[in-house]
Amino acid sequence: MNIVLPLTGIVLLVGPSNSGKSTFLKHLVEQGKILPSEIVSSDECRVLVGDTEFIDWHRRNKDEADALYNQYQTISAEAFSLMDSLIETRCRLNKLTCIDATHLYPDDRKKYINIAKKHHLPIVSIVLDIDQSELLERDKTRENPRGNKRIKQQVYQFKKEKRYIKKEGYLATYFISESKDMEVIRRTNHPLELDVSNGIDIIGDIHGCFDEMIRLLEKLGYEKNADQLYVHPMGRKFLSLGDIMSRGPKSLQTMEFFLRHIKEGLAYMIDSNHGWKIARWLDGKKVTLSHGDELVEEEFIQYEAQHGKEATEQFKQELKQLLLKAPSHYVLTKNGVPTLVCTHAGIKDEFIGKESHDISDFCRYGDSEGFDETGRPIRKDWTIHHKTSTTIVWGHDPKPKPLVINNTINIDQGIVFGGELTAFRYPEKEFVAVQAEQDYSDGKHNPLVEFKKKRLNPPNIAKYINGYQVLTDALGEIHIPKEYALASIDTVSHYTVPIEELVYIPPTMSPTPAPSSLEDYLEHPKEAIQYYRSMGIERMVAEKKHMGSRGILLLFKDEEAGLKYVGRKTLGVIYTRTGRRFFDEETEGEILSRMNNGLKASDYFTKYETEFVLIDAEIMPWNLKAKELISSQYAHVAENAILDRALLKNKLESIGDKHADLEKWLEEYDEKLTNAYVFKEVFQKYCWEINEIDQIQIAPFHILAHSNETFFHKPHTWHMEMNKEFARMETLFVETEYVVIDDEASEEEVIHWWENITSDGHEGIVIKPETFISTSKGKLLQPAIKVRGRKYLHIIYGMDYLDPENLKRLKQRNIGKKQKLALKEFSLGVEGIQRFVNGESIERVHECVLGTLAMESDPVDPRL
Amino acid sequence: MQLSIRATGQDVQMLSYLLAKNPNNLYERSVSGHFVRMFFRKFSEEEVDVTFFVTPDPIELSRNNSEKYDITSYINDREFVVSSIFCTFLRSALGTALNGKPKEEYEPWVYHSFPLEFSFGPLASDLTDDEIAALFQPLGYNVEITYGAADYNMNFKTKSTARFITIKGSTTLQMGLRQLFVLIPVFDNYKHYYIDEREVEKIERYGEGWLDQHPQRDFIIRKALRFQEVYSQLEKETEEATNQEPEPKVRLNDLRYEKIIQKINQLPFKESIVDLGSGEGKLSEKLGFIEGVQAILAVEPSQSASIKALKRFEQVEPKENFIMPTQIIGSLFYFDERLKNKDIIILCEVIEHIDEHRLPKIMKTILQDYRPKALLLTTPNKEYNAVYEMDTEYRHLDHRFEWTRDEFTQWCEKQNEAQEYELIFDGIGEQHELYGYPTQMCLFSRKGM
Repeated sequence: MNIVLPLTGIVLLVGPSNSGKSTFLKHLVEQGKILPSEIVSSDECRVLVGDTEFIDWHRRNKDEADALYNQYQTISAEAFSLMDSLIETRCRLNKLTCIDATHLYPDDRKKYINIAKKHHLPIVSIVLDIDQSELLERDKTRENPRGNKRIKQQVYQFKKEKRYIKKEGYLATYFISESKDMEVIRRTNHPLELDVSNGIDIIGDIHGCFDEMIRLLEKLGYEKNADQLYVHPMGRKFLSLGDIMSRGPKSLQTMEFFLRHIKEGLAYMIDSNHGWKIARWLDGKKVTLSHGDELVEEEFIQYEAQHGKEATEQFKQELKQLLLKAPSHYVLTKNGVPTLVCTHAGIKDEFIGKESHDISDFCRYGDSEGFDETGRPIRKDWTIHHKTSTTIVWGHDPKPKPLVINNTINIDQGIVFGGELTAFRYPEKEFVAVQAEQDYSDGKHNPLVEFKKKRLNPPNIAKYINGYQVLTDALGEIHIPKEYALASIDTVSHYTVPIEELVYIPPTMSPTPAPSSLEDYLEHPKEAIQYYRSMGIERMVAEKKHMGSRGILLLFKDEEAGLKYVGRKTLGVIYTRTGRRFFDEETEGEILSRMNNGLKASDYFTKYETEFVLIDAEIMPWNLKAKELISSQYAHVAENAILDRALLKNKLESIGDKHADLEKWLEEYDEKLTNAYVFKEVFQKYCWEINEIDQIQIAPFHILAHSNETFFHKPHTWHMEMNKEFARMETLFVETEYVVIDDEASEEEVIHWWENITSDGHEGIVIKPETFISTSKGKLLQPAIKVRGRKYLHIIYGMDYLDPENLKRLKQRNIGKKQKLALKEFSLGVEGIQRFVNGESIERVHECVLGTLAMESDPVDPRL
Repeated sequence: MQLSIRATGQDVQMLSYLLAKNPNNLYERSVSGHFVRMFFRKFSEEEVDVTFFVTPDPIELSRNNSEKYDITSYINDREFVVSSIFCTFLRSALGTALNGKPKEEYEPWVYHSFPLEFSFGPLASDLTDDEIAALFQPLGYNVEITYGAADYNMNFKTKSTARFITIKGSTTLQMGLRQLFVLIPVFDNYKHYYIDEREVEKIERYGEGWLDQHPQRDFIIRKALRFQEVYSQLEKETEEATNQEPEPKVRLNDLRYEKIIQKINQLPFKESIVDLGSGEGKLSEKLGFIEGVQAILAVEPSQSASIKALKRFEQVEPKENFIMPTQIIGSLFYFDERLKNKDIIILCEVIEHIDEHRLPKIMKTILQDYRPKALLLTTPNKEYNAVYEMDTEYRHLDHRFEWTRDEFTQWCEKQNEAQEYELIFDGIGEQHELYGYPTQMCLFSRKGM
């Protein structure tokens, strides 16, 4: 007789005392079939909690016997409670547990059947049926004999129950009376685990789009061999997330394709809702074929007409087997470590690596919450409950682009609805996709179309109010703390442009990482250049930094494009770095229409095949937004400083015969007065009277995105050249000077240029690595560093900041936090724009925008 | 920041003894990094001119002020203007004079009136020149005020906000200085830069013999002690600011609440009510007393308003039959599951604060996703502004629009395109035969309820 032990689950031993349960298990340990830790025994648990496995109360006085009996009962109860919790824990962790106890009563067994079921694990029972005489004989030789009466009682109970055990619901029940003539087999390979080996290409829902599937495989590098099999030269294999059939034009061809490839060990496929439906239909179950399943039936009718009944039956049988046996999910392992899970519609963390009816059901349909008015399931978001580091790849629910949320990746891009068929290359973690040749659906309930309709729905506040994480490409997961998230929700609810239009908040920028090594400078280009060089960046771009107010411009080709992208007929929107409307409505309208005319006259939108352009810019003059601040702070301070210092200087000067110390005071005040005048001169440099729109200047520095692409892959030289193009198209745009740094000579040139413009009072320059997103040893680098001029800094650090005593102290500034915020905000910005361009929901874009606003509520020295 | 004391005439040299400062020496002391300095510009039989000034350490000042990370706190006038900081710096240098405790032999001069001239500044004050003069004149001074230069390349301001004050009068040195020490902080604009705990005692001491008789005594005390109650004061100010609407509106607010409550009382379902945009909780508080109400959600994005609302609720919480509203951080621009399937949602004077083009989406979320059994909307009736003799301006600075009755009716009907609700229009306030009610209201009731 063969006894098959599951890889994980429960093995329940049943039999009276002395029937050999412990011996049987000990034997298995010796054979290496099970580990000692896989045994949980009631006797041992009694020892663990009560130091003894048995208390004999017989042959005692009544009072003593009663007390001992009570003691034994108490210890037993505690021992079983420990045992149960131990077993549950092991089940939760997907381990095998062999339970060594008598299990003579149905309730004892039922308990473990329930535990196994609850944790989606198999349970098998092994019943030891030994003669009473043998049991009594064995009892004599054991250390703590249970006594004849007790054994006989147990045997009586056992006999009474024996024949019912089989029906109690075990995966298998084995009866053994002699332990010699049997072999115990332990499953060793996990049926759900797949080794990644040469790489696996996971493919989303195909739905009979056979031609697109072939194109995708070819794009992935698979080649057709003489046997008509698609084989990868590097030995990669492909894995389907299910739903390979139904809705689309070539379900049979696709299924036949998978049948052959799976047979040859070249491909894998998991269970799915359509797959399960077709399997049951093929199995002769009474099912209603709908939602595109009826097309499979039609194809079979045609198939039969062509190939005859026999061939069709044969084909159906093979398909049925394939589909019924498809596992609920696969766990991909790298060097034996599970790192990725493939499932069709979803999975719970506690289901991973286990199989049961409920798990299959969940993996097929996901988490659903009843049905809506039209009878379609309301899908609940299971992804938010995913907590472990294992990546889960799934399909089922079409999204316009691969959607990465909370370490889950949806790769169903609705090929059958005219979308894309996506493959996720693992372990490379790359997406490869092909476009559908057409929309194969009947036009009703196209999920891609519906997604677009819902794209601008108000974001669900529940996603943000307790703080949240944003997964960014550039910097990984970024945590947004609750307190700052709430502050930003307040801002968005009161002051900013509408959420749909607020697609990007520009990041803060760090000044030079180290203060200038020169004695009388706080900031100098050398330190910025050194920082990048030390990170292995050889080519940099130095751009003039304008002094105005940051402005984001989202310019649409026409009002229809506005309606499409932000839900409002508008030519665009211009807002500040805190998301507030930059101009009053009238001015904004005038500026937008001028820009629209300018861009259209140059065929900008046609030339770049775009419906919008998103621009990051500086808008001047400074007083446009800051007039009140300049007047009440900067001008006010200048007036008071000059008045104070000039009066003191005059008084000190007017003294005829001067004390030596008085001379020093006079010198001091003479210098201080000069500083006050510099201060007054500097802030006026950025201000001029605005009487008409033409006096406004807008200097773009990043062309962030068009409707079909972002430009984070373009070097800053490209962005600067684009800016020139904008200046040519519309006079409100101004060009920005820049210099490329790639050697000593160009470095000198930049420093010289910086000296020149800043001594004239210009704010300074920004130095960026040539590549928009730059890393060093896998770490994201500061995307830009500002180097502000010596004169300009008077209005930041105070008019006397250059006084050696002051400068010495100011050079101790710490920019660590500023740098961290700069990286986080930059990554959030890039992420948000990518999501916007990918057509993701505004809720997902807003996650990034709100995140950046939240970062800005984190206090940091504003002078940096 | 500087103060010069000048006197001409007989015996003026006695001033150096009263100040306990040697006219031949410079005085310089460091007070936590800031230099308090003094020099005599003139010291002759007939004329004495002495200047006290402070050269602050700007880094130290900004460091102490860094709690509020706001760039304006780095670029500020504290380094230059005369203020309570200046008085604190000077207190020790002028201690002998202020306390009237020179060497015994000079004590009689403490009570001697000199023809004195105090000049000090710069001064940053919201008070007008006349108001400043009005504080000194009753004390017997002539006042002269000069201004800094406001010469800019563009029109930032017509007049400088830096002033320099000179007062002349016959008084004792101690009295003159004490008056300045009380009045300088009174002029100064700054709200809460420096709070001296001994402020009250200081005023009592320095104000002795003149302040009680000053015609503006109350004003001076209030201004001088504003630090003490700066928080309660602030609170009052903001409350006043939100009620800046025309006079009849105050009563209108109450009428509005009354009407809403009356309406709710008539509704068959009122167990759960959502006050969307609940602000400081005035309406939610009243809703808590309606019979039959079991849960109130007060939804508001502003944390500061929510804190005020909480205080309001906590005050009435012990009262019988009060249902404590549940406060929720949220707004109309987000979808919030917690607001689904309630009996009543109220938007009381909320929609006019939102750009009109954003409203349809909000209404769609409310009517189709939240699906209340009733929705109550109130908004100003623009026609009625004529009664207030208002021109084209809105009743509140933040209003994005105000509608006529027709506009409101049409808009409401448009939001009800799905025809799932019955609309009933009403008005609140005193009805005008031509212009209707000051506030208009619409009740959306779900059909088939």
